[in-house]
Amino acid sequence: MQRLSTTVRLNRSVLQFDDAASARLETYLAESASLLEGDPDPQEILCDLEQAVADQCARRLQPNQAVVTLAELEPALAEIGSVQVPGASPSAESAKSSAPRPLQQVSEAALISGVCAGLGRYFGFNVTALRVFAVLLLLLSGGGVILVYFTLMLLMPFAPLPSGGKPLAWLPGKCRTFMEYLRTKFHLAAG
Amino acid sequence: MAAESKLAPIRKGLLEFLVLKIVGAESVYVPDILRRLDGTEFNTQEGTLYPLLSKLRREDLVHYEWKESEAGPPRKYYRLTDSGRAQLTALDEYWNLINRTIADIGH
Repeated sequence: MQRLSTTVRLNRSVLQFDDAASARLETYLAESASLLEGDPDPQEILCDLEQAVADQCARRLQPNQAVVTLAELEPALAEIGSVQVPGASPSAESAKSSAPRPLQQVSEAALISGVCAGLGRYFGFNVTALRVFAVLLLLLSGGGVILVYFTLMLLMPFAPLPSGGKPLAWLPGKCRTFMEYLRTKFHLAAG
Repeated sequence: MAAESKLAPIRKGLLEFLVLKIVGAESVYVPDILRRLDGTEFNTQEGTLYPLLSKLRREDLVHYEWKESEAGPPRKYYRLTDSGRAQLTALDEYWNLINRTIADIGH
């Protein structure tokens, strides 16, 4: 009698597993998934792990062997090891998000100078909604908002640029340089 | 060994640095990284490496491209991004600085 096997798709590979091995594999993948809870993209890691399991099992199959059993799966899983989430990242990220954010212009997220991006980040508003609101005000106030925007541009400090970030877009870059120039010229403390 | 419990977190913290170094030297896929670390103090497993590489990719330090292999499905080959290279240089310099401090202090 031939033992029944299950066809298992592991990322980009397809293999035959016997019942015991496929049950063991399911447990391993479920454990991995639960260890990756809280990781921003567990799906990518799970796909990589599935591929690793498939490669390891395929390598261990004998030339005339079609079905993966526990004899191949157990050493494969032992070599891959259980999922270790990089320790530093969760604490660093939570420290970052819990730190109070000062009211600053955010040049790298700016359309003009980063006032809306900064206000949105500080008050937790949706930036797009804030921009739409600002344009509505501009239409209703007949231009008064421009003066408000310019004052904020001049007074709100600029957030430090992220290290190794992309160069700024043309307008935010110019705004930043121009405001910094005005501040030094008129000895404004902000910035 | 009693010191082992103090050495383990040091190795764990340095693993990311070593992975950046390996990826920085040439474009590699995960079994290359494992082989490179095999037999060193930093011997590691896929279960550790994939989550770490995923984190590094999210931080825009490494990126990968798919390459066909002679046998089996295509493989992910990792490479440093520009900011990954900048971070590797910074880590290298800092590591040398620490080494000098450790060597100098107490003399």
